[in-house]
Amino acid sequence: MATPPQVPQRDVGGCPVMHRDFAPAGPAGCYWDLAKELRDGSPVYFNTFAQGYWVFTRHDAVKDIYKTPEIFSSESFTPWEPNPVYRFVPTQIDAPDHIKYRRILNPWFSPRAIDAAEDDLRVLCRGLVEEVAPKGATDFVNEFALRFPTEGFLHVIGVPPKDADLFVPWVEDFFAGFSGDPAGLERMTSALGGIREYFVAALEERRGETEPRPGDLASHLLHSTFDDRPLTDTEMLDMLTVLVLAGLDTTRAELGYMFRHLAEHPEHRRRLIEDPELIPLAVEEVLRYYTIIFGDGRKVTRDVEFHDVQLKQGEMVYGLVSAANRDPEHWERGEEFVIDRTRNNHMGFANGPHRCLGMHLARREMRLAVEEWLRVIPDFHIATDEQLTERGGGSMMTLLELPLAWETA
Amino acid sequence: MKLLIAGDVCMGHGRCYGIAPDIVTYDDEGYPTIRDELLAVPDDRVAAAEEVAATCPEEAISIIDD
Repeated sequence: MATPPQVPQRDVGGCPVMHRDFAPAGPAGCYWDLAKELRDGSPVYFNTFAQGYWVFTRHDAVKDIYKTPEIFSSESFTPWEPNPVYRFVPTQIDAPDHIKYRRILNPWFSPRAIDAAEDDLRVLCRGLVEEVAPKGATDFVNEFALRFPTEGFLHVIGVPPKDADLFVPWVEDFFAGFSGDPAGLERMTSALGGIREYFVAALEERRGETEPRPGDLASHLLHSTFDDRPLTDTEMLDMLTVLVLAGLDTTRAELGYMFRHLAEHPEHRRRLIEDPELIPLAVEEVLRYYTIIFGDGRKVTRDVEFHDVQLKQGEMVYGLVSAANRDPEHWERGEEFVIDRTRNNHMGFANGPHRCLGMHLARREMRLAVEEWLRVIPDFHIATDEQLTERGGGSMMTLLELPLAWETA
Repeated sequence: MKLLIAGDVCMGHGRCYGIAPDIVTYDDEGYPTIRDELLAVPDDRVAAAEEVAATCPEEAISIIDD
């Protein structure tokens, strides 16, 4: 992953320089090791990869980036690509328009909406667990962690579950290019085209209907307004696209690491079985300790001194959330998984105005997965001696597979 | 003791009402119903209120001692 540092194109004022590509896959957990190494080494680096960008490794700076959106624009959140081919709404929209889009979407992913969906989500989850339980073995990532959040998310936005088979490969292809790997760019562009075509057709089918279809987000968007005007097709497509990409991939990733952890820690499984009230705390600790967002990028809106370096307008910064969420300056026993950790104010769902829209759905799915799985399969282990592999941090870490096995009755 | 949730800092993470739904209620978008106004904390819920304030990822909640 590391190559010799190159001379940066600009004077970085004595800041340590590195040349690192965060796209490559590696052994599971390697990106948290890297986050720690970088955090221990320096609070800030200049990375000469791509056009060059700043990397902040500690809790205070990462939080300040999130909390100062007037300086750190969301126009691009991939520091190696300041001008991406996609435009996600509201992800890449700044104030004052950002909140107007968010308010259209917030009710769909609010705790009340998720409460209303919980029984259906539990049935979905239970069905998948009961399907794999008699087999005594599964690839958890592909047979459960990918399917449950996909079907759950599509249910919440009112897309027929049968279309999951279309969306899953599109999401895989998108993330092949997202991390800046040039070989994946074509797949990424083609996936974006596929998702767009799907929703162009969905919008066409619903256009002109006098009432919004209940529980159908595409139909709801056709009836929504922005500053008293209808949303444009481009806005609706940009919103639906990012929801699919964010909704299908991220919970899969957290479930993978959570169940790898439970497979390797029978004492933690036992505690959660004996005291299910601990499950929500355990979920938050998974989100902190196994933060899948290696880093979050922003674009600098004006020349400014920030945490002892001089940033210039138009430059990109990368806040290593995965490092911040274990920073010993902020956390007691930060590099330790504490299953009943309280006061866990982690940034696993980011911070500031762009905090994850789907957070309530994600943590509910994580809780349901643990409850339903442990109820039917209380004991399980990792069924391979080979090193597990994770996708590169630039695309958000996720286990590519997780073979689990257990005794069957 | 009372709690004060700063409306312009709160981003609706929902950790507060996750811990203490009896102290903090929430609206249809997932934000605490009462922001920028003092929230009463029953005497037997002081520990929970401290937990709520310390858990907020945005540091939007302050404790006001009587």
